[in-house]
Amino acid sequence: MECPPIAFDNVTATYEGERIPALHGISLTVLPCELVGIIGPNGAGKTTLLEVVNGLLPITTGTVRVLGEPVGPSSHGLRQQIAYLPQDLFFDPSTPFLAGDVVLMGRSAVIGVFRFPSKADRALVTEAMAAVGVADLAARPIGRLSGGQQRKVLLARVLAKRPQILLLDEPTANLDPESKDELSHTVLQIHRELSLATLTVSHEAGPLLDWADRVLTIERGRLVSDTVGNGSVAPTAMHAQIG
Amino acid sequence: MFGIPVHIVLPTLFGSLLGGLLCSLMGVFVVRMNLSSLGFAMSHAAFAGAALGLAVSGLDPLWMAIVFAVAIAAILGPLSQVSRLEPNTIIGVSFPVMMALGLIFINLAPSASVGSGALSLLWGSVLGITMNDVYKLGLLAVVMIAVLVLFGKEFLAILLDRKLAAASGVNTRVYYYLVLFLTAITVALALRITGGLLIYALMILPASAAYQLVYDIKKIFVLAPILGVLSALGGFLLSLAADLPIGASIVLAAAAVFFACVGLSPKRRRQQKAG
Repeated sequence: MECPPIAFDNVTATYEGERIPALHGISLTVLPCELVGIIGPNGAGKTTLLEVVNGLLPITTGTVRVLGEPVGPSSHGLRQQIAYLPQDLFFDPSTPFLAGDVVLMGRSAVIGVFRFPSKADRALVTEAMAAVGVADLAARPIGRLSGGQQRKVLLARVLAKRPQILLLDEPTANLDPESKDELSHTVLQIHRELSLATLTVSHEAGPLLDWADRVLTIERGRLVSDTVGNGSVAPTAMHAQIG
Repeated sequence: MFGIPVHIVLPTLFGSLLGGLLCSLMGVFVVRMNLSSLGFAMSHAAFAGAALGLAVSGLDPLWMAIVFAVAIAAILGPLSQVSRLEPNTIIGVSFPVMMALGLIFINLAPSASVGSGALSLLWGSVLGITMNDVYKLGLLAVVMIAVLVLFGKEFLAILLDRKLAAASGVNTRVYYYLVLFLTAITVALALRITGGLLIYALMILPASAAYQLVYDIKKIFVLAPILGVLSALGGFLLSLAADLPIGASIVLAAAAVFFACVGLSPKRRRQQKAG
């Protein structure tokens, strides 16, 4: 039987210097190709959950397995299979990086140490930027793009990586309604085309949560509900919407 | 040249140019990664180490400078991350301690070595650089450029955003410590050019000037060493022409380059228009 992409068993995690756990006794499984929404109030532990999946935050008790392997801060190889879009990552106007290079950097670990990006890597970058509609921004400084354009460039970075797991932390936060809708459609398209296991965090309702196969609710670091979402009810209808 | 024998001038000229190149290359990291406080601490630790080398016979000032600079990087690097020390705290603690140690070591040094060696450690000296120093700086330049090329994409990833790089699967800790180590070695080897009090400026000014001019980090890695070398050359000539301390002259030249770049900065013009 194929192992689930993400499996938590009674996981507790505490930030350094804190006494109260940010996550408490979480058990959950995310299946292949599943889109799981995570909701909850600010400070509930939603971001922490993603950081634990990515191994950026070590757990205190329990076990976390990602793609069948135990995960931790030194799981650099495993992270090559995970794409993570952090919350509120915006670049100031003086940031000295071009958008195309930011996307290419998403492949740094996949390319490997002592190796240089190949033509195939650059082709993937071009393809990913075209897929999210930012191909014409490749030579622009990332900091001089709008918030929505920056999020799209970071999504292209995610796509260029060709991951198996996608972690999105408030992907549409601080965007105008039109950009939110557009970005949500792009995310859903990426999720389906690459057959990813996707966790998306939000503190407010939105299209991505509407399309989720399951919706988890976290409060004060505890998983308080795990409900079937609309995505599992009408996936065909969703595809029709994207097309 | 300017009445000074060529065999004395040439090592100083080559050493200054190589020092300008190396310091400004590492400055690109120091400026972008907000490592200014650590760079500042390293430069004063190198000064204290070199002073210990002068004080105790049998110890090589250069090696002691390297040991002290690397040691302070090895201690303060993890400490600043684990304890989340504010940069001002790091400077506030390390600067007086290292300066005090350096001055005590100079005080303990035999009087013969104080005149020539100690002063060059403080603010550099035209006579302080030998061809042996130049070879070491040249070797470091070759090694550093090779390291930057080999690990270029990993360094660029951590320069953009360390958390994003870590999440992508880059072992950011290794590259962060590699940056600290290279910075420490650079500071120690270039110490005799500008002296312990000013070496930090040669690291910050050309790199900051390059950041003013372009938006592409790859171009900054080319432009910063060019500005560093120009600053070193300008300072060297100023020092010879006006009989000024070479370290201070180089720093003044670097400051002039920095202010010229601020004036010409397309980034600032755009920001002003946007404002």
